[in-house]
Amino acid sequence: MSTIVSVQNLSKTYGSGLKALQHVSLDIAEGEILALLGPNGAGKTTLISIICGIVTPSSGAVEVAGHDVVNDYRESRKLIGLVPQEIALEPFETVMNTVRFSRGLFGKPRNEAHLERVLRSLSLWDKRDSQAKELSGGMKRRVLIAKALSHEPRILFLDEPTAGVDVELRKDMWETVRELRASGVTVILTTHYIEEAEAMADRVGVISKGQLLLLEEKAALMSRMGKKRLRIELQSTISSIPPTLSRYQLELGSDGGSLVYTYDVQAERTGITALLNDLSAAGLSLRDLQTDQSSLEEIFVGLVNAEDGQNG
Amino acid sequence: MNLQAIKAIYIYEMARTRRTLLQSIVSPVISTSLYFVVFGAAIGSRIEEVEGVGYGSFIVPGLIMLTVLTQSVSNASFGIYFPKFLGTMYELLSAPVSFWEIVIGYVGAAATKSLIIGSIILATAGLFVPLRIDYPLVMLLFLVLTCVTFSLLGFIIGIWAKNFEQLQLVPLLIITPLVFLGGSFYSISMLPPVWQTVTLFNPVLYLISGFRWSFFGQADVSIGLSLAMIALFLAICLAVIWWIFRTGYRLKS
Ligand SMILES: Nc1ncnc2c1ncn2[C@@H]1O[C@H](COP(=O)(O)OP(=O)(O)O)[C@@H](O)[C@H]1O
Ligand SMILES: [Mg+2]
Repeated sequence: MSTIVSVQNLSKTYGSGLKALQHVSLDIAEGEILALLGPNGAGKTTLISIICGIVTPSSGAVEVAGHDVVNDYRESRKLIGLVPQEIALEPFETVMNTVRFSRGLFGKPRNEAHLERVLRSLSLWDKRDSQAKELSGGMKRRVLIAKALSHEPRILFLDEPTAGVDVELRKDMWETVRELRASGVTVILTTHYIEEAEAMADRVGVISKGQLLLLEEKAALMSRMGKKRLRIELQSTISSIPPTLSRYQLELGSDGGSLVYTYDVQAERTGITALLNDLSAAGLSLRDLQTDQSSLEEIFVGLVNAEDGQNG
Repeated sequence: MNLQAIKAIYIYEMARTRRTLLQSIVSPVISTSLYFVVFGAAIGSRIEEVEGVGYGSFIVPGLIMLTVLTQSVSNASFGIYFPKFLGTMYELLSAPVSFWEIVIGYVGAAATKSLIIGSIILATAGLFVPLRIDYPLVMLLFLVLTCVTFSLLGFIIGIWAKNFEQLQLVPLLIITPLVFLGGSFYSISMLPPVWQTVTLFNPVLYLISGFRWSFFGQADVSIGLSLAMIALFLAICLAVIWWIFRTGYRLKS
């Protein structure tokens, strides 16, 4: 897939002296969903704001479809739709007028049919004549998405699209994002909910303290970084782990009827075959086996902690 | 040039004007009518004529200027302050528009609105006093230039203001006194010499004087000087805006 956004060695130091971004480089592929994951204050909004032209970078460069975002801003910005983190709408303006305004602002001629499609797809068509102040929080967020989509962007930035949104609406949002991707739009979203990145993204970038710690295919990330746990249910209970099994990383369940074996999926040998042989040699018969994989959350906490360890 | 964007901003801003049409237009008309009653009738009964023009007619250009100046400043400052206040500025900053296109859209809409109000006041004045306009084209030129220049000033104030107090204080504390002391209701030749000199430092004097000249062919200062002064304000405002956008002052971090 071709690169649509290319960020090269980007740094931002705010007037206060705060280093919000430090030497961030990343390429975003056309058509993917990229999740930028990081705690509050990590620099996610700063990164997006520089790409969209709201914040001036201190050093480094960003190209959108080959157009520099500073020198060739007209071309780069035409391709981008931005849904900001904070809900901001003019309270007395109607949904339709706001969306129409956005389209014009981005230099596109009137196209009521397109706006109707966008509003319908976001379940806002019935609300087209309502003033923003009459809408619920979830609807306002969707109006912001409609504004961002009004000018048919190829890239959509969603800054914390589900912050403060209840579970039901969050699932709707995920669905909306998947539909967008299906229509060919590249989606970059930021979140500090790991489950969100896990549920939606093709690739995940982890940002902490202004640095991009990692950027990887979600599946690869999970299997590379992930530890798997094998839970072994025994036919009978035991009081301690037999000495012949001491070379394995085993934990005895509190009831004495199960063992948990933790292994690295990435390792050459997982040791499962040997373990199972040694289990039967030790005279233990098995009732059931079950594996589970660590979530992005655990990976993420591990990464950020490792970073803290290095700095501290 | 992103003409679509300028059009979008202009239409959007004019729609806001239409929503608030009543208060935008009714209140200046009422206050102007009150000025006529108070100044025209009460004072005018003592001062019959100023330089050969009936007092009621004499104050018409100053009244129009008073309204047009304050309206331009407040319309434009509110227009651009609003997106800042509501947080919708992100959209302007992320759109493929140049800063000048933003200025043309906002200032164009604010100036249009004050031009409309100025015309309505002129028409209202015609109901109270006999009017003659010797140089209608010059009159129109002055009116348009004033609307544009002071809308630019308002735009600057709107970007500078950090809260509603600042937004309202500047027109109240600076613009209104300057207009009152700039000869709206008198000719400076009626002042003692010291005050005449002081008044010459008031930029608004030149606007009112020039505008009045276009009505009655007479002025405190020459029409050429008046035009030069308004060109100077225009240039200063444009330079400040250019600087604001170059540095991102109060817009970008
Ligand atoms: N306009 C600004 N001026 C100064 N500091 C800022 C500004 N915007 C953000 N910051 C700081 O930069 C850091 C990164 O912020 P941000 O990009 O908003 O992080 P995130 O979106 O990941 O929560 C934070 O410490 C924040 O306080
Ligand atoms: Mg943020």
